[in-house]
Amino acid sequence: MSSRAVTFRIHRAYSGSEVSGRGQTTWCRWLHAVLAAGAWCAAAQAQVGGLEVSVARQNGQPLSGAVITVDRESAPLGPAAPVKAIMDQVNLAFAPDVLVIPVHSTVQFPNSDAISHQVYSFSSARQFQLPLYRGKPYPPVQFDQPGVVTLGCNIHDNMIAYVLVTDAPFFGRTDARGQWRASDVPDGRYRVRIWHPLLNEPREIEGMVDVSAARGAVSIRLSKALRPAPLGSRPHTWDY
Amino acid sequence: MRIAGRQFASCAALLLCACMFASRGMAADWELSLDMRAVSSDGRNSFLDNGQGKLRFDDDDDGIQLGRLRAAWNQPLGETFSAHVEASTWDDDDKNPIDLTEAYLEYRPYPRAGWRTRLRLGAFYPPMSLENRALGWETPYTITPSAISSWIGEEIRTIGLEAQVDWLGTRLGHSFDFQLTGAVFGWNDPAGTMLAMHGFALHDRQTTLFGRVGALQTDLEMAKKELFHEIDGRPGFYVGAQARYLDRAILNVLHYDNRADPTAESIEIRDYAWKTRFDAAALRIETSNDWTLLLQAMQGDTAINPFMLLNWDFNSQSALVAKRWGRHMLAAHFDWFEIEFQDDPAASGSETGNAWAIAYSYDTGEHWRFALEWLRVESEVPARVEYLGEAAFARESKLELSARYMLTGDF
Repeated sequence: MSSRAVTFRIHRAYSGSEVSGRGQTTWCRWLHAVLAAGAWCAAAQAQVGGLEVSVARQNGQPLSGAVITVDRESAPLGPAAPVKAIMDQVNLAFAPDVLVIPVHSTVQFPNSDAISHQVYSFSSARQFQLPLYRGKPYPPVQFDQPGVVTLGCNIHDNMIAYVLVTDAPFFGRTDARGQWRASDVPDGRYRVRIWHPLLNEPREIEGMVDVSAARGAVSIRLSKALRPAPLGSRPHTWDY
Repeated sequence: MRIAGRQFASCAALLLCACMFASRGMAADWELSLDMRAVSSDGRNSFLDNGQGKLRFDDDDDGIQLGRLRAAWNQPLGETFSAHVEASTWDDDDKNPIDLTEAYLEYRPYPRAGWRTRLRLGAFYPPMSLENRALGWETPYTITPSAISSWIGEEIRTIGLEAQVDWLGTRLGHSFDFQLTGAVFGWNDPAGTMLAMHGFALHDRQTTLFGRVGALQTDLEMAKKELFHEIDGRPGFYVGAQARYLDRAILNVLHYDNRADPTAESIEIRDYAWKTRFDAAALRIETSNDWTLLLQAMQGDTAINPFMLLNWDFNSQSALVAKRWGRHMLAAHFDWFEIEFQDDPAASGSETGNAWAIAYSYDTGEHWRFALEWLRVESEVPARVEYLGEAAFARESKLELSARYMLTGDF
């Protein structure tokens, strides 16, 4: 990854006290850094209740569905508790298109279509295959290594989805407004990572944030347009 | 060495049956579809009735017609093998009331580190039509495919072994996938006969593996229009490449050569081994607002040498535009085609022509698909003057309504 870190500080932001960020001390001042990956804008704002991350496309429109992972740098808080997740297959598409899970979680891969699918991954984070099936014949697959796992169907090449396995304690996806919030973030220096399947380059963007009051906001704007999203509306009798 | 296609296909059918029996217990997918048509046509006597008309349904066929009754069976055989069989009837004067269009075994192992191989053994279409992407090798855009796809469905079938290698770049974070294809095949030596006999046509009537192109040829001097036979014992080949940009654009190229010996002749089907070669290219672009642009081009030649070398050069181009609004689609394609016999555009055996097809279709997404198509073909065929006493130029048009009901399931 060729991303660079942006560091800024938030001191008791909710009380309106001084905020400093690598030589910049003005309250509500945007910190700009031109990165290989994108232009980062970091803002320190009064924000009671937790850390907020906003992601915008190159054109300023909010980016929904971006994966945010946040962990403390010096003394990592460790991964969140494993979950049991589901990646379904409906109308020749994986649902959801991106699944974010803590390490050691399990994912069930039911096939709700009337036709058979054959799910595979050859990603280094987790390689597996589920022979041709319908319904829910196989036990869940466990993901023990962090990383991006790209899923495909060996019968229907247009089917593609991702499981992002994280060892970060805080994670999620941005909403329709391009925002994601975490509450109860303890003090510390945090690494914020952004990932989206359609990012042009680099595939992962990361930055640092020093949080001394566990409250603040980070805004990120991509420098490059996203790649086109997969076409999801083709009838299933096509490209059989 | 002369091997009848029937012999090979019988072995293949037996093998498939054995495989299916061996795999009992594994769920097989089946598809069954009935496509009925209401036709209004002013077409000349159809090529299917040994005429020089360019349409499947001519002016004698007005009314309700069977478009196609189709049954398909996809049987998994273990984890990475599967068998596919396609059977159809078109209720015309074909040799067999119901027959196969494709039957093959497929080996499709899991991708490894971004690479995947695929093998097909049996009878199937070469991977060259980006238009006929729907089940049963049909076009989803119109009722009648382009002149190029019509010809492929009529005369071309791979009966042999095909290997493909895919580089799945999109699974590795890239924007492109690439594919290389190579095949060795036999039993397609008569390919080219139909171009010489009636030229290009626009139709959705695929020739069956054991059948012939329409009605029995009553002229005993003429070929029996059976296309899937081995005559000279020389295998043919094709090589192709495909590049895909995400799921938005596909570029496909193919070089085909059946390597027939043009002096070889079959008494059984009263036909020669037609030395047929062609290059084909196709580009399909789809946008996020459901527009599709499809460009196709093909150029080649076919030759026989009964007493002297007789050569037909052929080429065709097609442009298709389609726009979908949910389950509704409007599509149009324009085609040009040309055949030149012995380098003489005025010779019997030469032709030029063009075609327009405009179609509206509504796919319910479950069982029904309705389509309404207007098709017009204009062609200048010198043979009409010599053999039929008609004008060389003909303008044929057809209005056709299709109602197709499809069932799928497993057993």
